[in-house]
Amino acid sequence: MKYYRPQSVKEAIDIAHSAQGMFLAGGTDLVLQMQKGKILPEVLIDLGKISELREIRETNESVEIGSMATFTDMGKSELVAKKASALWLACQTMGSPQIRNQATLGGNLGNCSPAADGLPPLLALGADVVLLSVEGVKQLPLANLLEQTPLLSPGTLIGGFKIPKRHQFTGFAKLGRREALAIARLSVAVALELEGSKIGNVRVALGAVGRRAFLSEPLAQSLSHQEFNESWLKLGIRQVQGVVREALGERASAPYKRVAVAGVFREAVASLRLQGGLDK
Amino acid sequence: MMTIELIVNDKKYVLEVDPQERLLDVLRNRLGLMGTKEGCGEGECGACTVILDGKTVNACLVLAGQAQNSAITTIEGVGNRQKPHPVQKAFVEVGAVQCGFCTPGMVLSAKNLLDKNPHPSDEEIGVALSGNLCRCTGYDKILRAVKRAAEEEK
Repeated sequence: MKYYRPQSVKEAIDIAHSAQGMFLAGGTDLVLQMQKGKILPEVLIDLGKISELREIRETNESVEIGSMATFTDMGKSELVAKKASALWLACQTMGSPQIRNQATLGGNLGNCSPAADGLPPLLALGADVVLLSVEGVKQLPLANLLEQTPLLSPGTLIGGFKIPKRHQFTGFAKLGRREALAIARLSVAVALELEGSKIGNVRVALGAVGRRAFLSEPLAQSLSHQEFNESWLKLGIRQVQGVVREALGERASAPYKRVAVAGVFREAVASLRLQGGLDK
Repeated sequence: MMTIELIVNDKKYVLEVDPQERLLDVLRNRLGLMGTKEGCGEGECGACTVILDGKTVNACLVLAGQAQNSAITTIEGVGNRQKPHPVQKAFVEVGAVQCGFCTPGMVLSAKNLLDKNPHPSDEEIGVALSGNLCRCTGYDKILRAVKRAAEEEK
């Protein structure tokens, strides 16, 4: 196996293009899979020394998070806490301190486990993904990317994420078998805009329900533009249970998750925090 | 093979390693630092915890190449029998060591916490140690030991 340690994004993309290499982000998934012999790359491109990929910054319209930002970086970022609350919440419970110190948001997407903790919040927040390759820069909604198979064409580097700054409430909750170090059995991220005293657009994303995290269109439709009260919550719970029922079908975990999602949805709603939007 | 440079416990090493080798393998097999334990080998148990550039990581999930030019602290760099670290001293005094397999990782997670936050709350101690599993003690004595080390530092 050849091991490259590029110093810039351009160098990384060039190597990936010419050598057909595999990118190494934090390694918490890939190193394990290599150790088990499930993935044996011939060329490994370690992105760890490219500092520009690790930046978390704010522009006029969005919060930009580089693909190599770790869960610790995000979990300690005031900017993420204030303007991407659902993601910040997910960073507090993902893995363990050791895993959070190493695992990256880009790696979370690249590995794309059904239970990836970072993806439901990004979906609910309406994030775009920035993809880089020798052909140039491409930006598209994460929700669209997650519908593609394979996820990424060869030689494509996940550059980072752009989360639009919206004045809205966002939250996240997950169900694990224990408090720390638990792989999500179920996760729910919610974003809720306001329209006067009513709820405006609502986005709900689910994780560990099916092959990949997804944004639920039926939930967005049935929960948007209503009064925020107990009957809205009850409607949400009924609807989210329906979505899980449909997504899981006859799978062994279905009877459990169908019921459990009620509590996780309720917790996600309870975790809603008002996050700042555009600075005015 | 590839060449890497590591600073382990303040000592610089230049090593020829296989790119597949994990930091854990390099520390144990090449440098003979057997205090870093391999438990699950999957990043669950924290027995292989080391401090890498000021952050705890599971050495079983880090390739040696990723640690290029990094400063690493293993349990051998924390203290010794003659001069134990306050966390080690407290572990002995409180009786927080039973079989001892998780202890190096526990001590490193605790040391790293106290380096950054000398007066942690009980909850902060719990979170800092949440990536280290112990099958013997039931954790209570470990938590007490870390608290005691923090108090003695005052």
